[in-house]
Amino acid sequence: MLAFLGSAGMLLAIVGAVLLVVRGVAAARHDTSPNLGGAAQLLLSGGAVAMLAMVLALLTDDFSLVYTANNHASATPFPFDVATAWAALEGSIVLWGLVLAGYTWFVFRRYRKSPDRLGAAALAVMGVVAIFFFGLMITVANPFEVCVQAMEAGCVRSSPWPFATVSAPADGPGPNPLLQNHLMMAIHPPVLYLGYVGMTVPFAYAMGALSLGVAGPEWLRRSHRSTLVAWSFLSLGILLGGWWAYEVLSWGGYWAWDPVENASLMPWLVATAFLHSGIVQQRRGMLQAWNFILVISAFSLTILGTFLTRSGTINSVHSFTQSAIGPALLGFLVLTLVGSFTLFSTRADTVATSPRIDSMVSREGAFLANNLLLSVYAFIVLVGTTYPLVLEAFTGTQVGVGEPFFNRLAVPLSFLLLLVMGFGPITPWRSAPPGLLWARTRIPGLIALAAGLLTALAVTRNGWVVLAVTLGVFVVGTMTGLLVEQVTARAAKTSETLPAALKQVVTGDGAFWGGQLSHVGVVLVAIGIAFAANLGSHHEVELSPGESAQFQGYTLTFESPFRQVQPSKTVLGARMTVTRDGNLIGLVEPSANFFGSDETGVSTPDVLHRPGGDLYITLLSTPETGSATFQFDTSPMIWVLWLGGLTTAAGGFLAMAARRRERSVTPDRQTVDV
Amino acid sequence: MSDRARNIAVIVGMAAMAITLVFLVATNPSDVDRVQAIGERIKCPVCQGESIANSPSSMARDMMSLVSDSVALGASDDEIVEELLASYSGAVLLDPPVSGATLALWLAPIAALGTGALIIVWWRRHPGEPAEDTVRSTTSSRRLGPLLILGFSLAVIVVVAGFFLQDRSGPATGVADLAGQDLEDVSEETMEAVVAANADHPQVDGMRLALAERYYDIGDYSSAFPHYLAVAESANATGAQAVTALVRLGWMAWDGNAETETAIELFDQALAIDSASTTARYLKGLVLWCGAGEVDAATGLFEEVLAAAELSPEARTNVEADLAAVRDGDTCP
Repeated sequence: MLAFLGSAGMLLAIVGAVLLVVRGVAAARHDTSPNLGGAAQLLLSGGAVAMLAMVLALLTDDFSLVYTANNHASATPFPFDVATAWAALEGSIVLWGLVLAGYTWFVFRRYRKSPDRLGAAALAVMGVVAIFFFGLMITVANPFEVCVQAMEAGCVRSSPWPFATVSAPADGPGPNPLLQNHLMMAIHPPVLYLGYVGMTVPFAYAMGALSLGVAGPEWLRRSHRSTLVAWSFLSLGILLGGWWAYEVLSWGGYWAWDPVENASLMPWLVATAFLHSGIVQQRRGMLQAWNFILVISAFSLTILGTFLTRSGTINSVHSFTQSAIGPALLGFLVLTLVGSFTLFSTRADTVATSPRIDSMVSREGAFLANNLLLSVYAFIVLVGTTYPLVLEAFTGTQVGVGEPFFNRLAVPLSFLLLLVMGFGPITPWRSAPPGLLWARTRIPGLIALAAGLLTALAVTRNGWVVLAVTLGVFVVGTMTGLLVEQVTARAAKTSETLPAALKQVVTGDGAFWGGQLSHVGVVLVAIGIAFAANLGSHHEVELSPGESAQFQGYTLTFESPFRQVQPSKTVLGARMTVTRDGNLIGLVEPSANFFGSDETGVSTPDVLHRPGGDLYITLLSTPETGSATFQFDTSPMIWVLWLGGLTTAAGGFLAMAARRRERSVTPDRQTVDV
Repeated sequence: MSDRARNIAVIVGMAAMAITLVFLVATNPSDVDRVQAIGERIKCPVCQGESIANSPSSMARDMMSLVSDSVALGASDDEIVEELLASYSGAVLLDPPVSGATLALWLAPIAALGTGALIIVWWRRHPGEPAEDTVRSTTSSRRLGPLLILGFSLAVIVVVAGFFLQDRSGPATGVADLAGQDLEDVSEETMEAVVAANADHPQVDGMRLALAERYYDIGDYSSAFPHYLAVAESANATGAQAVTALVRLGWMAWDGNAETETAIELFDQALAIDSASTTARYLKGLVLWCGAGEVDAATGLFEEVLAAAELSPEARTNVEADLAAVRDGDTCP
């Protein structure tokens, strides 16, 4: 029954996508405005029906579907049963399709308000991408195949034909144990997909503009705005992923330059570059060709990332089993790259030349430096991730490229970016008088160096930490100086009170100040990483019940082992008390979870969150034999990292909201140069 | 205070603080956790893309304790890394060397940065129209095209060149001379020279073993034999090194000279050192089956191997095939 519903949803979506392409192309070519609403509606409802069928199958334990039979168990509790809808390959494509249909709907809503050829062309491009993803669903990654030969738990043979005689197993093996250990699994993938899939929208506008030969400012405005949406979600998604890894993966880290992490970082870096270079085009008409390249790259990188992590080419926590989806994604990637760059080069004559830059010491110059650094950054991640694959494919030589490689190159680049970030926002457009720059940097410079000195004297003399604090304070300092300058100037001019003037300044250019909030977020992330990566400590110890260990001023006592049998899992753990200076500060229960028949337990750390930094306790061996081996880690100031990630994303959302407001209130706003 | 005097005061203050900072940071006693740092450079053989420092798997933890023992014994980082790579098949260096096959990996980002900077410089110099907001003209993004293609080709050439560029350093004769180099890039002659010149050096066994493995891989048993023998008899070799050497000697005895008993004896010696060695157990089973026709003993050994937790999927498939064959009474492959 649900197989019918799901399959019907997929087919509806494909029909909608095809209609969207046909009618969108017609509308774009002849400047007529046929109603695209039906097509967009069909696509969205098809995607929603498919997702609904999937979720219903999981909630009602319908094991006649192969997907449910192989990825779900009746004991899987809420909300993990719903989250299973995207915990394996086929389901994750359904989520992808639904999010894509949702974004298409938003593009359509804009088109409905003011139909134009660019909007129609973009909708047609969205339709093409939707045809590919829903096509994947009905061919190589069909989530609604029915089980025709069941095992005790799971399914061995399936049929894509919903009319086939069904043989449903009584139960399934349940989702990947790692994915049912933390609530974050229900939130992280959808948010990340909102970021990933969102990159389709700017791409669609870019392709639409190129095909129509109207490479003017309009496509850029829309691409820029939609990139801001995708970028904000992607930032949040990456943050949640790091947090999940930290809370669940029991090694005390949040980022390992794992291919799938890299796959999300690459489009983020390129989108960040575009958010900046897009402003240069809007303000100065420069970098038009470059902006096309960035938008095409960001979209291609999301497809590449999906290929790398979903095809089984690279093994990681996130990659699913091998399937024919690899070649399909690779083919689509090649098609995207060849198609879009061919279109780009044949329409190069419609792309305006960049006017000459007046001076490198200007906002434009800072944005250029920012773009150079960010693109090289993305390139390093790309090369590091794909090099082992390419080398092995062509020469058979196996090499590993891991954390040491990335850290060695990415850390200096990140510091350079922070430095540029300190100057960029306070540098005027066109040409910056040295006197003005000096006036705006001398006080923040003094404060930053003083903060660095204070850190070195009172906290640590570790060079990375000191540098991160110094540059971070400099960035926040120059920015605050600028805010003070503008607020006092406004208060003097309009005789408003200072708070009123502050409100007017910030809301007057919400996009700019939202961006500055993101800068603060990035600074916090940098400082958090510097502390956690350089000042953490690590200790392993074997304890019997009743024994204690000293670690970093804490006394950890192994009180007793425990064993809990829950419907979906068996938990073996250790109860520990943590004291500091004789005061009890917490009770922790690091454990190992055993799901179903799985014999290798999933270690679940327990984290004691402290203002100065977390105490992170992992069980390395289960305490069945009396004694147990523990691993203790400290992550100093790690909350700064989480706060920074949230602030970065919040800045994006704020800028987004400000742009919406601007659009509705003052359509032709005059911006004032700072 | 005049503006000028104030500016000078600010500059002097900044310089003083900056110098103090640099001094404080530079004189910071290094507190790098060497064990952790080395662990992060090695990929865990049984995990998916994790380093041994980050993996909770038992093999990774064994390897980490080996690292911490070696650090305690005063071995250098590179010696420890070499030993791990030689002793654990499937362990890969995550920190690719700036030479040989991974030279291009390091050069590519530099080439990209250079190309990008060149494009900006070119763009800055090229005589365009005076800047005017949102002015549109249609001349020269086509001129940017060839430059992009040039930059791209340059990057490709660098990458390709990297594949063919080999390390051309002169012959080294000390163990320390090879520190920091990936043994893969060292020629057999150099390794022979180093091994011969440092026969009593406590850390030579790792290199000897790597050299022997290289001969073994190309089927040159007679060149490999003396080195394996030296490692097997060396007092300085680690258990893992001795086991590898004994297992290889055993296999060569049977495969090269059909000496079944010698082979079994060598495998038993290896198992005496490390009773968990699956390779020794498997090969012993194979030799018992093929050389001595002891089907039952072989079956038992294969079953024990399969019961072992850490076995790559390919190895498992092979052993399972052998077990099925021996059970069916097939002749050995």
